[in-house]
Amino acid sequence: MWATNIKVVSLTLAVVAFYTTIASIIPQLESEVPEEFDFGSEVTTAALVVAGERVYNGAAGCATCHGLGTRAPNLLTDHGGEGAIGARCGTRDGDCKNYLYEALTEPGTYLIAGFANIMPDMRRQLPEDQIWALVAYLQSVGGEVTVTAADLPQPGDEQREAGATAGQPTFSATLDPQTLLQEKGCLGCHQLDGAGAPIGPPFDGMGARITSDRIRTGILDPNAEIAEGFDQFAGVMPAFFGEQLSAAQLEAIVQFLEDRR
Amino acid sequence: MTDILPLIQAAAETGGSYGTFPVIGSRAAIWITAQVHLMFAAFVLGVPMFAVITELIGIVTRDSKYDKLSKEFTRLLVFAYSATALWGALLLFLLTTLYPSFWIHMAGVFDMSMWIYASLFFVESFTLYLYYYGWDRWKAGRAKWGHWGLGILLNVWGTMVMFIANGWLTYMMSPPEGTTVQGLPEGVRMWNAIANATWMPINIHRLIANAVFGGSIVAAYAAYRFLSAKTDEERAHYDWMGYVGNFIAISTFIVLPFAGYYLGREIYEYNQQMGITMMGGFMSWLWIVQAVLIGVLFLSANYYLWLGMGRIPGAERFMPYTKWMLLVLVVCWIVWGTPHTMIASRQELAAMGGSHHPFLGILGVMSAKNTAVNFMILTTFLSFMMYRRANKLPTVAWAKTGTIIQTAMFVLSSAVVLFYGIYGYFVEAIVRIGFSVYQVAAVLACIVGVTVIDIMMLRRADSRGEIRWGQMPERSQYSLFVLAVTFTWLMGLMGYARSGIRQHWHVWEVMRDTSEFAATPALGYAAKMISVAVLIFLALVAFIFWLGGLAERGASRSQTSGTARA
Repeated sequence: MWATNIKVVSLTLAVVAFYTTIASIIPQLESEVPEEFDFGSEVTTAALVVAGERVYNGAAGCATCHGLGTRAPNLLTDHGGEGAIGARCGTRDGDCKNYLYEALTEPGTYLIAGFANIMPDMRRQLPEDQIWALVAYLQSVGGEVTVTAADLPQPGDEQREAGATAGQPTFSATLDPQTLLQEKGCLGCHQLDGAGAPIGPPFDGMGARITSDRIRTGILDPNAEIAEGFDQFAGVMPAFFGEQLSAAQLEAIVQFLEDRR
Repeated sequence: MTDILPLIQAAAETGGSYGTFPVIGSRAAIWITAQVHLMFAAFVLGVPMFAVITELIGIVTRDSKYDKLSKEFTRLLVFAYSATALWGALLLFLLTTLYPSFWIHMAGVFDMSMWIYASLFFVESFTLYLYYYGWDRWKAGRAKWGHWGLGILLNVWGTMVMFIANGWLTYMMSPPEGTTVQGLPEGVRMWNAIANATWMPINIHRLIANAVFGGSIVAAYAAYRFLSAKTDEERAHYDWMGYVGNFIAISTFIVLPFAGYYLGREIYEYNQQMGITMMGGFMSWLWIVQAVLIGVLFLSANYYLWLGMGRIPGAERFMPYTKWMLLVLVVCWIVWGTPHTMIASRQELAAMGGSHHPFLGILGVMSAKNTAVNFMILTTFLSFMMYRRANKLPTVAWAKTGTIIQTAMFVLSSAVVLFYGIYGYFVEAIVRIGFSVYQVAAVLACIVGVTVIDIMMLRRADSRGEIRWGQMPERSQYSLFVLAVTFTWLMGLMGYARSGIRQHWHVWEVMRDTSEFAATPALGYAAKMISVAVLIFLALVAFIFWLGGLAERGASRSQTSGTARA
């Protein structure tokens, strides 16, 4: 009798442990609560772009559909041969900024052929200033960012007043190139010492492949010339690093990468 | 814009309205309590369905073993009801102390339905006592039918109780348009809040799932009693009971995916974003875990049937086919468990060379998965058919023709499933979604058609020999335990899916969760919560079974001593 009991209990525990293990070793995705942003009245465009990227990958949940190419058009990469969203948004009605804002708040207005009208009005999920941050980020992906602090809710709006005194996103003042590469998320796409992802050209051996001028141009205007073999990721690298880096920081990175031979 | 912001702000005004729970936190406390309560609720709703069906079979066939079986389970219900009520009360206290603002909102919307719910619970409990304690008093003639009527009533009350509670939880997922944190909009009544967009799909899904669950728990109970049986007679009885429990669990389980499609469709209809979050967003990997569990269910159920055929004279002619059926099940399981539209990191995208895996991406799409699921259902149905026909020799003149028609139905159904599975790769997504309906229809038509022919064909069939009940290898009984544990775990997983798609909302886009536990945790954390709830539930069920055994021995002893005194 006890032998049966032990077998039954052991089997039960083993089955439960098996399922718990399976569920624990697969990718762990958590649904995050929308992040709070306090944009000051003098918020810079670059800061909006940075915040917009966090909103894009976080609370807005854009990546759930945009990027698979099946439910919604790709935004960060090419769609229909027109380039990334920042590059193609101006072709809709001539005004990229307004187009993107309307696409986020009245998504049915600009339905792309081949896709169903499944996108929700983002105003139901995001406050106004985060929507503008999202617009700024999307413009930055292959295009020129024209969103400014003036586009955000004006003083007098409850939201604006709530956030007026709070600090805006700030940037590090370090001149350590490795810290900067880490801080700016470069290793998310470029490999350094074998670490990082191979979405962009690897930093390892970069100095042996291209000149310092080409490195500098690549940081400031990443889509000016696409490295050979990386065409499929054209438009992925944002063009805002010139606004995020001081001249000294930029040169420190250029020098560091040039030394990677 | 201006009319939406105040709503968002109002929805956020739940700050500071949360209690704290020591060590594990409020979320874990509510999660585990609600889950254990729901498991017991499923038990006390599923088992009466089982009891009333077996009692009816007993009345019609005049076979007392069905009546005995039915009573045996009703006795367990008496204990299980107390556990359900206790966990329900605990859940209520935790909700009022840990999430008071949320509870005030819910009470404001559903006040009267809560009173009705409590009243029905009373009525249901008293009906159960009458049903159980009146068993031996109303055991013959019209009185027996009256007694069976009580069993029906018990199911009716239980179903009503479940439907009301479903109204509350589905309201949290799909509240009526215009609902605010203050309550329902002008002109919208409580009934509209109950009969919301996802209410009926959840009702149907849970009703079927409860029957599945009840059957699997019954089978596990029988398996335990089989393993600890002292006599051949006892072993034969519990072998038979395990088969009946497994049959009910698997036959109802086969239709559960169709109820799931209905629920999924209604979720998409209500809110595309919610549907996408469920199927392709942060929950996308959940369906891979679900595929693992359901694969285990199919394999265990088929394994049990194939082992069971060892005690049926004549079944040996079917045995060579089982290895091919196993192959089909395993291949389909692998296809079903293949990931596809997942949120991938940039590193993963780069490694795959795009958003889909170059090879697995082909298998991971819905066309392949739907095809795999339907083949698994057909294979399991074929196992049942083989089991059923094993010891029977049809005597009707058209037996050969009937078998050919049945075979043709299987072949045709498989062909339809395969055709649309392949064709789905060449059409737009919106067209492809519609193909699943044709696949399901083909499988259902096959199941119904083959069963009807089989029933007619096997009337007055000759027997190749009696089933040797009790002569079942022990390992078959362990597969019944695997089924019960897996069903219970699956119930917890689906509870996480249903509740988790609300994300950081107590009530979807009406009342925001601003507590420290507002983020919806990943599967690893959820799995731990589910496992804890499952183990608590199973431990308590084991205790209830033990109590049932005590009562049985007590009754048996008093009967013996009474006989001795006489």
